Amino acid sequence: MKKIINTSVLAVSVSLVFFSCKPEIDLPVATKGNVDVSKYVAIGNSMSAGYSDNALYHNAQLMAYPNLMAQQFSQISGGAFKQPMVNAGSVGIGSYLNSQLILAPSVDCQGIISLAPKYLADKGDLTIFGASVAAQGPFNNMSVPGLKSVTAIYPGYGNPANGTGNFNPYFTRMAADPATASILSEAAGQAPTFFSLSVGNDDVLAYAISGGTSDAITPSAGPAGMGFDASVDVIINTLTANGAKGAIANVPGLTSIPYFTTVPFNGLLLDQANADALTAAYSPLGITFQPGKNGFIIEDANAPGGMRKSVDGEMILLSVPQDSLKCNGWGSMKPIPNQYVLTANEVTEISNAITSYNSKLQAIAIEKGLAYVDVSAFMNKVKTGIVYNGVSLKTEFVTGGTFSLDGVNLTPIGNALLANEFIKAINSTYGSTIPQLNATKYKGISFP
Amino acid sequence: MRKIVALLTICSPLLIQAQGFQVSLQGQKQQAMAGAGTALMADGASLFYNPGGVSFLKKNSFSIGVTPVISHAKYADESSATVSQTNSPASFPFTAYMVFGRPASRLKYGVAVYTPFGSAIEWEKGWTGRFAVTRSELTTIYFQPTVSYKISEKVGIGAGFVYGYGKVNFERDIPITDNKGDYSSAKLEGTGNGFGFNAGIYYKSSERVSFGLTYRSEVKMNLDKGKATFTVPATLASSFPSGNFTASVPMPQIITFGTALKPCNNLTFVFDASMIGWKSFDTLAFDYETNTSELPDTKSPRNYKNAFSYRLGAEYSINKKIDARTGIKLLVSPIQDGYVTPEVPDATHVNYSAGLGYNMGRGMNIDLSFTFQSMKRKDTNIETQMSGTYKTYIFMPGISFNYNF
Repeated sequence: MKKIINTSVLAVSVSLVFFSCKPEIDLPVATKGNVDVSKYVAIGNSMSAGYSDNALYHNAQLMAYPNLMAQQFSQISGGAFKQPMVNAGSVGIGSYLNSQLILAPSVDCQGIISLAPKYLADKGDLTIFGASVAAQGPFNNMSVPGLKSVTAIYPGYGNPANGTGNFNPYFTRMAADPATASILSEAAGQAPTFFSLSVGNDDVLAYAISGGTSDAITPSAGPAGMGFDASVDVIINTLTANGAKGAIANVPGLTSIPYFTTVPFNGLLLDQANADALTAAYSPLGITFQPGKNGFIIEDANAPGGMRKSVDGEMILLSVPQDSLKCNGWGSMKPIPNQYVLTANEVTEISNAITSYNSKLQAIAIEKGLAYVDVSAFMNKVKTGIVYNGVSLKTEFVTGGTFSLDGVNLTPIGNALLANEFIKAINSTYGSTIPQLNATKYKGISFP
Repeated sequence: MRKIVALLTICSPLLIQAQGFQVSLQGQKQQAMAGAGTALMADGASLFYNPGGVSFLKKNSFSIGVTPVISHAKYADESSATVSQTNSPASFPFTAYMVFGRPASRLKYGVAVYTPFGSAIEWEKGWTGRFAVTRSELTTIYFQPTVSYKISEKVGIGAGFVYGYGKVNFERDIPITDNKGDYSSAKLEGTGNGFGFNAGIYYKSSERVSFGLTYRSEVKMNLDKGKATFTVPATLASSFPSGNFTASVPMPQIITFGTALKPCNNLTFVFDASMIGWKSFDTLAFDYETNTSELPDTKSPRNYKNAFSYRLGAEYSINKKIDARTGIKLLVSPIQDGYVTPEVPDATHVNYSAGLGYNMGRGMNIDLSFTFQSMKRKDTNIETQMSGTYKTYIFMPGISFNYNF
């Protein structure tokens, strides 16, 4: 009997060990191909810097796509990736000295409660600009919000002595030598073996975001520091001087950015009575209205009376005060001020500039054998809707999940998918097999 | 053996497709022989395998059995080379058969209780496919009262009415986070039932050769009052109202032809070929009682194909007390490329099985069986765009007790 028990115990034990056998799946090995990412430096604007929800803040910096790429590079002996971090828990600092945005219930002028972006604090964390973190540098992420092709090579870009508007405080806080350094000189000084470059966005965005009322579109022509093409030449020639490899991102079009697409040009909904009343009121200008959707009335200095109806292709910006539209007659009784509108001419100017930038960026990528990341094509794909491991993503404001609450910069999952676009381009250009990020680990918009 | 498999592959053009959530664990003797038994009247499990042959059973019997199913699956996400694994609970498909009738009578009666379909899978927390499924469990129990009539010494017919009871649980995460960073989730659970039948003909050509043909009808499991529970951020609660839903899952019809050969007294070969009507599982639809713009009714394409299985087994009587059995089966997956889902990571595969029967005397038998299944499938699901490789091991050790009287 004892023998039987012993045998049974043995049989059961052996079985249990056997039954716990798990299948193994062979994974592809990460290989570097002919790219050396041991020293990776990123140059870019807000999106590359980890600016999201309209501010630079700690958690957004961690989700910056260059930082996410660097995580994957660690699988092909990538080095440490240092960023000029903002303190964890800080409310962040935006370009209007504001804090980061969060989604919160808010009451509109009609008393309707809905979720809307709201600043986390009354003002941003000014200590971020007050204290230099340069001692922790040099930084692999040399991206700063607002960076243009022309300012990337500008010496003293972080010099407060230049006066407000003529220096970039985001660079001042991280520059070893704010008085004389340029982004490019501090990046190149680190002798990167690999770089990513994302310029061109802010060469049009500062203009576009202001409805064409401030700043200017960087022209393609002109000497370095004035024109886009020559400035990009300087950046690329400097970075590749010692044989560094790199990836160049192009510039997405405005129609894939929710800041420009959320408020429809024809969002003026009228019934018959209101349409008739407005038609009567605007009869001196010959503007007519019909029941249903109508183009908003916008400011236009060239139109009779300085106003006209908005037409298809024009963009009402996300910055337009919703309460003014809903309750104060903006867009109907009063024209929407110029700073909230991109007219057809302005949209065309911007689109032409982007097209020109992108052909330059692609040409130099081909010429120098660099990876070319077609961000524009990717964003257009997201615009029509993509599904990633069961997650549906679009470019719609808030609900699309790709863009953060500022409508221009990306959410963590948006950054992860953008990093994957870079990795795909790098792999195909340099024959490497760097695994993409598992983007399901990254969030979209958080809801209260 | 490879030759046989190759031959079968040539014979059946459907073999490139795949076996869904069928559980072929309805009798330890048959399981040990790869689940073939349509033409072999071994015991009460014939109530399931072929009601037509039950009238040929020499004795009344009562048996109960259980086969713990232990499964381990892994999934490698193609683009990120991330591997996730399951922590699936063991499930316990069981059987209970009773056959009775007067020894001299041509009529036999029986009651069968068994679990023909099911699955239980739970993926690790935060896995790459969490927005497709995190946990899924399907249990079905069929109750089948049966009558079998021996028309002649060669031919028997039989049929059973089937009442099927089903229990479904399906959970997944929703890609919406709250301010703490926690993801939302959906949990769908419910019970349902359906009706069908199981009929068969048994033809005993000689003491050495017999044939069987059976038809088990589809049973449509209708969940009328499923309960959907959504865990979402407070401000979105009205967009995802928890409440009732209805759904319907077809348990497919199966036609099986089988044969048994007895070349000598202590050796038996059995072979079964089945067509499983998985084609009826084209859509998994959830109809929510309260719809919102965020919560429309869902229709998830499954587009299963009808699929075949081939089972070959052998039994060798070592002596009067001990029988040894073994078998091999080929199961063609009903799931087409582009439709593999992580709750049923099915693939065309080969199962191996073996078992022992021990006659304790006084009409008592113990039967043991063991089946091992290994599957691998690479796919890109057209609905979720999950692209990767599934690999699964399933261990199925079973035991049953028989009492003949």
